[in-house]
Amino acid sequence: MKLSTGQKASALTLAVVRHKLKAVTEEMVETMTHTCFSPILNQNQDFSAVVLDANFLTVSQAERVPIHMGAMPLAVRMMAEAFAADLHEGDVLMANDPYWGGSHLPDVTLAMPFFADGQVHLWVALRAHQGDIGGMSAGGYSAAASEIWQEGLRIPPLKLVAEGRLREDILRLVAENSRKPGDLRGDLMAQLAAVRIGICRLHHLFVRYGSAEIGGCVNGILDGGEAVTRRMLAECCDGTHEGLSYMEFSGAPNGLLPIPVTVEIKDGHAIVDLTQCPDQVKAFINSPQANTRAAVMVAFLYFSGDEDGLNDGSARAIELRTRSGSLLDPVSPAPVGACTSSTACAVIEAVLQALEGADPSRAIGGFARRFRFALAGKDRAGTPFIWHYFFNKGGTGGNRGHDGWPNIGGLHNPGGTPSPSIERTENSYPLLVEEYALEADTGGVGCWRGGLGGKLVLRYQGDAPAILNAAGEGVSVRPFGTQDGAAGPGHDYYLADEVGSRKIGIHDSGVAVMPGARIICISAGGGGYGDPSQRDRASLERDIAYGYVSLQAARLSYAMEVKM
Amino acid sequence: MLIGVDVGGTFTDLVLADAGGALHFTKAPSTPDDPSRGVVNALELMAVQRGEDLQTLLRQVSVFIHGTTVATNILVQRNGARLGLITTRGFRDLIELREGSRPNRYTLRTPAPEAIVARPLRLEVTERVGANGSVITPLDEAELAAAIAQFRAADVGGVVVCFLHAHKRPEHELAVRTAIERSGWRPFVSLSHEMLSREGEYDRLSTALVNAYVGPGLQAYLRHLFGQLNARGIQVPVFVMQSTGGVLPIEAAARRAVGAVTSGPAGGAMSGVLFAKALGIANLVTYDTGGTSTDVCLIQDGAPVEKSRTDLADLRIAAPAIEVNPIGIGGGSVAVVDSSGILAVGPRSAGAVPGPACFQKGGTQATLTDANLVLGLISPTTFLGGRMPLDVNGARAAIENDIAIPLGMSIEDAAWSVHVLATSGITEGIRLATVRRGQDPRDFVLMSFGGAGGLHANGVARELQIPKVVIPRMASVLSALGFLAADIRQDLQRTLDRPILATSHAELATIFAELEAEGRILLKETGVVADHIHVQRSMECRYARQNHGIPVPLGDNLYPVDIERRFTEAYRSLYQHAHEGEPGIIDACRISVFGALPKIDLPVQENGQPDPEPAFRGRRDIYIGRPIEADIYWFDDLRRGMRVSGPAIIESASTTVLVEPGSIAMMDRVGSLLLVAGES
Repeated sequence: MKLSTGQKASALTLAVVRHKLKAVTEEMVETMTHTCFSPILNQNQDFSAVVLDANFLTVSQAERVPIHMGAMPLAVRMMAEAFAADLHEGDVLMANDPYWGGSHLPDVTLAMPFFADGQVHLWVALRAHQGDIGGMSAGGYSAAASEIWQEGLRIPPLKLVAEGRLREDILRLVAENSRKPGDLRGDLMAQLAAVRIGICRLHHLFVRYGSAEIGGCVNGILDGGEAVTRRMLAECCDGTHEGLSYMEFSGAPNGLLPIPVTVEIKDGHAIVDLTQCPDQVKAFINSPQANTRAAVMVAFLYFSGDEDGLNDGSARAIELRTRSGSLLDPVSPAPVGACTSSTACAVIEAVLQALEGADPSRAIGGFARRFRFALAGKDRAGTPFIWHYFFNKGGTGGNRGHDGWPNIGGLHNPGGTPSPSIERTENSYPLLVEEYALEADTGGVGCWRGGLGGKLVLRYQGDAPAILNAAGEGVSVRPFGTQDGAAGPGHDYYLADEVGSRKIGIHDSGVAVMPGARIICISAGGGGYGDPSQRDRASLERDIAYGYVSLQAARLSYAMEVKM
Repeated sequence: MLIGVDVGGTFTDLVLADAGGALHFTKAPSTPDDPSRGVVNALELMAVQRGEDLQTLLRQVSVFIHGTTVATNILVQRNGARLGLITTRGFRDLIELREGSRPNRYTLRTPAPEAIVARPLRLEVTERVGANGSVITPLDEAELAAAIAQFRAADVGGVVVCFLHAHKRPEHELAVRTAIERSGWRPFVSLSHEMLSREGEYDRLSTALVNAYVGPGLQAYLRHLFGQLNARGIQVPVFVMQSTGGVLPIEAAARRAVGAVTSGPAGGAMSGVLFAKALGIANLVTYDTGGTSTDVCLIQDGAPVEKSRTDLADLRIAAPAIEVNPIGIGGGSVAVVDSSGILAVGPRSAGAVPGPACFQKGGTQATLTDANLVLGLISPTTFLGGRMPLDVNGARAAIENDIAIPLGMSIEDAAWSVHVLATSGITEGIRLATVRRGQDPRDFVLMSFGGAGGLHANGVARELQIPKVVIPRMASVLSALGFLAADIRQDLQRTLDRPILATSHAELATIFAELEAEGRILLKETGVVADHIHVQRSMECRYARQNHGIPVPLGDNLYPVDIERRFTEAYRSLYQHAHEGEPGIIDACRISVFGALPKIDLPVQENGQPDPEPAFRGRRDIYIGRPIEADIYWFDDLRRGMRVSGPAIIESASTTVLVEPGSIAMMDRVGSLLLVAGES
């Protein structure tokens, strides 16, 4: 399954084919948007499409979710290898199993090989986050899971379509393992339509340019991506750079699991070593190798900020080392549900911190992590409800030249899915939103300050107590500061009722929320960049006038001489 | 006599349809410091052209329609009114919180957008309406008075009010207007529920903010313009083009300034409607390649496809608008060898200043226009009717330095690469625009306009396998021409937020009757007589699990069972499936009330001889991947029935069309070019 290499495409064909391959993935995503079944999926676009070469390197991508991208090459490789001797034109493979190259179980990938002259030249694949894939809790994030089987249906690589014929029996098996069989079936059919469109477009490209020319283009695109990354790495200081972030985990001695990383940069090449991280745990924060790889690649992309090389050529310049049986390269049956969000954030942060040592000018302060909760109960009409939306995401980190943004949240998908409206929330749930605003002094102090955290006050208005289940991160691990900037404050959520007020912990579950109680969420602010005393005075004065920074904080943290 | 005037960035275009139905065109340079001067200049040129004085001309005008980018420019350049915002206590920051979203996921080192209203001028007052429309906390009048006094002291030009659930119960928002009026102060006021009577506080807030931000500036301009025209004899109201393709009279247009913000491409889409009708085409996709970008619009069943929100300049405008799919390819698009060593064109543009290297205005970067000039596709002497001689050597140097040397190819091949990549960009943009609507591009006829469109039409059509391209002769004034296809239009809506089947025919009929009555009153104020009014009803419906609705067109039948079926059909045509048995929810009832204006028909030309000899202007060497000699024709001299075979270039003062070898162009009955792409 090797592409005919050696030939160099003409600069014109290379430019056009790169553009067309990008359009192929965009059309796959649009097709998915317009045929996917579950109404949530078509409005949130929790899916991504890629074209891969015969060696499973991403050549082109249409990303709606950054953490999907770097994970797909391994998934498709393992799918292909499972059918190495039995792969035919018209086959469509399907898998979601974290121990067969997947990430977490809701992310189901369909991959289809592109054949020409009896050989596989390229692959197209589309990964979508399915609403429900079975498991002990609806929606897939089972904080209580201690084994992968509790998280839902495992789908090792299988043929959903064999030589053009849809395996209805397989489709039925998978669909019936979901709480929403109709949605899952419909969404898988939409994924199928999307990968078929991708193959159809590739066919047109091959007819027009021929396989040798396309092969040359694919190599040229990957070489370009590699060059971008190598040039960026060459601008960095050679040496071994260390980063360390933490995950909040009650099973750890002090409640913190360290995520240490070293990045060794030499001659435009990087070795990312995550082998020193802890052993895998019996909780859903383990990250399969593909997901760990994706998080590392996202960190490098954030660091470079150059989208021209948005392909796997860059991966040739970055070597990843993990340790089998560890948190970041677990073996079955470790559960993995939170890997695409919580664990991914911690890995991205650690790598960014290490890279900061390689080029301080590119440093970015820490982001608020994701801390959310679900509220379940009955509305006044007695109908059960589960509210699990995510408002008040917290600030992003300052960086050279810019303050952070407010209300963007986690590094795994910054500013991804918009929050639903307050009016819809109040209209659909027994909740009254009493306040949703920026919170002063929450931006990490720095020459460029972190984005502000916010304040959300929810008042529960049901007749009977509701149950709150929390999940997330970022209460004791604060968004880190960088280059002498300070960390932002962590999340601070609490519950207040007639009895008093109590903090909501990230692992709290089954907390009773009384009618009339308030849930108050102060979200984390981003980390600051640079020495706060160097903050531009005009910006600081504006911060004060706008109420982003209080007078007191301006004096204490920014050493401002304030005239009263 | 009908007149349409479109003020663009460079030129002010004028189209006049006389009593006999003949069309006349002219253009004058735009005058950005006071755009009304350019309008008057264009009118004077037209008067001269017709051999009469301006006053005589204006006295004959029965309909005058004006399109302006004043509102758009105010928003994009961020030089609008100083705003004051009043919100429900606890919610002044919603505009800065942006629903927790940001457009780009990878580029983390960018500044957060500056909120359009400064935080110290976002004031909260005590009041609260619940989700069911009941008053939980009455409006605190004393706080309100203090807020108004503070705004007045700060000399704000626009006051915006956005209270939660105001669409369900607007009385608190209305009370703010009353209080401002009582205070004797006269700022521009936008109430969120009047901008959008629908659930979704961020959409209402952002739309009301944009309205008040651009409103005072637009109002001042329109009043000034009318003063200028009135002083010169115009005796009819002036209408202003809206983003829906409808028009509103000046005062209504100023009050609803947000409708003019995205009106720029509406004229072009409406001219697409005009041509679709004249040529008997149901489905047309138009693309307009200008200096900085290409705008793609879809016309389905003779009407432009609309959308209900637009994100522009970091803000949300939740007002109905003709859907425009922008592609970052225009004549000024910069061509570079990017950091991965591969050629890329756009979306960065050299704009009008410094512009392409060949403009000799200081631009040194290679652009698409430079490439097309190097290829011989654009004539250095007839660009913009010869008013702007182009510097071929400058263009060659830019292409050589930026593209040819880094990629190790000849200047001609480098220029051709830029041309082909731009064609590919337009092609894939059009494909996505149709796919996004659940459509196949091959089911559409293509229409190309804008100065740079015709050079790529042949390639785009071939790549999309669209058999025919319509290229109107009046390509450069098409937007103004489209104005003359417009009706007066008022859009009204009312939130409902209930399952379709939980409503009744009687209830819906009452709602629509009330909306219609309201719309008729608004139209009456514009002087439209009742028998020229027609109405389009629609609903915004969604499944319970969804966040946003889709438009569902309705006729007279308002029985819920039939509406449910229509929703299912509309959903299916967009998404290829529907959720049978799952209840649909009506978010809002919407009505568009149209007051018919006199319309033009495109004049039909006499059929003549097929030989294009009278339009022949010689031959020129061009380069289209290989050197070739092309016949040159003058567009204005081509007549109905004439056929031009490629390789040929068809030129006019404002546009150039490339007919590739193997392709044919014919003049059709309304004087547009019909290009049939051959195999390459």
